[in-house]
Amino acid sequence: MDINLTPILTSWPFLLKALGMTIFVSVMSTALGFVIGTLVGALRTYGGRMTNVVLGFYVDSMRAIPLLVILVWTFFAFPLLIGASINAVTAGIAGLGLHLGAYVSETIRAGLTSVRRNQMQAGLALGMSRFQAIRTIILPQAIIRMLPALGSLFVIAIKDSAIASVIAVPELLRQTQIVAGKTFRPFELYTAAMLAYFILCYPVARGVDRLYRRLSHLGSS
Amino acid sequence: MTAAPILVFENVVKRYGALTALAGVSLTLHRGEVVCLIGPSGSGKSTLLRCANALDPLDQGRISFDGHEVRSSETSVRLVRQRMGMVFQNFELFPHLTVLRNVTIGPTTVLKLGQAEADARARKLLAKVGLADKETSHPSALSGGQQQRVAIARALAMEPALMLFDEPTSALDPETIGEVLSVMKTLADEGMTMLVVTHEMDFARRVANRVAVFDKGRVIEEGTPQEIFTAPKVPRTRDFLSHLGWHGESK
Repeated sequence: MDINLTPILTSWPFLLKALGMTIFVSVMSTALGFVIGTLVGALRTYGGRMTNVVLGFYVDSMRAIPLLVILVWTFFAFPLLIGASINAVTAGIAGLGLHLGAYVSETIRAGLTSVRRNQMQAGLALGMSRFQAIRTIILPQAIIRMLPALGSLFVIAIKDSAIASVIAVPELLRQTQIVAGKTFRPFELYTAAMLAYFILCYPVARGVDRLYRRLSHLGSS
Repeated sequence: MTAAPILVFENVVKRYGALTALAGVSLTLHRGEVVCLIGPSGSGKSTLLRCANALDPLDQGRISFDGHEVRSSETSVRLVRQRMGMVFQNFELFPHLTVLRNVTIGPTTVLKLGQAEADARARKLLAKVGLADKETSHPSALSGGQQQRVAIARALAMEPALMLFDEPTSALDPETIGEVLSVMKTLADEGMTMLVVTHEMDFARRVANRVAVFDKGRVIEEGTPQEIFTAPKVPRTRDFLSHLGWHGESK
């Protein structure tokens, strides 16, 4: 098999822009997923029974439906429901974020529950409201404890952004497919894409691990 | 004691399921007074403290603090807690915060004090408990005695009218108990009103104005340390003290 790197050399600005889109979609959907997940996790831990049931339904739905189906539905079906079109990037970020949020919420919930009950009492004894105690005392410890799991979810979010290629988000995999189709060099292009994902995700995984080793002592009450 | 009552328990009853932790306790704490609660484990001493600042709700009876009833409504309880410092057996410092931030978090979060003002207040208190050089450390880097002194500073940072101590030395190594007790002694000497659950009979004898002996959810005897330790009237008190190796000698 002969290797021809010319297509990569000539289309690299196009692919670099696609990589930028992958990073943008990953970061935005992670941010959305972490905000949703933190809120849902906290509300399920400290809220009433009804809140728990309603939000539990959201979490279980997201875990029961394939991500691919959620993305396709968000982009092709949801606009028909609301009678307005949404662009692929917005749909992609929303679908990925909502899906991720369910997993983040379960992780946060486990973290919050693991913090000793007396930590909350110590906060209340200072005159804090429950909300203040959760925000300043319980949640920071929960996040530190759950750093390895949350880091894995971040890496998964980067990798899952590739699924958004099916709704034509111009991210790395989608644009690589286009170049591969035009140049008939699938081996070189898909290998390059695979390496790009690895180079992107590997340092994130290592970095979170190192961060956790430096911070873990701050999370053990 | 002529000072005004600050904390009054009237016939307080607290049950946990089938277990009656407090079976009708009445006790009055006056301003500037140090009252020690002693008695066997599980006799309800700690429960009384937790009821005082409404960390546990009452089943019956009434607690009033500074003339106002301590009820379980969120806002009134928060106001009461701000003026009642609490020190826990296991310190309960916040592990993710430095020593300085542990002390400032109450004032900045609850009293909305500015960070600079809170820092100044905290540094003064850390100096007072002998830990001025530890402000940038995290709790995990401190000994038990040091952690408990930070916890005392944290409670004092709210400038409370009353301090509750829940077995503050029970989780400590013997060699660090003294440093915590001496901080508490200093507080008492400065006129702080204190309600102290303790197994340190020597501290109770030397520092308390009054001692209340608990057994099975009741106060079985109450009096000056002199009365309790040298001439206990109730046989159960004598049993309890002799189990601790205390034989009523006076000094």
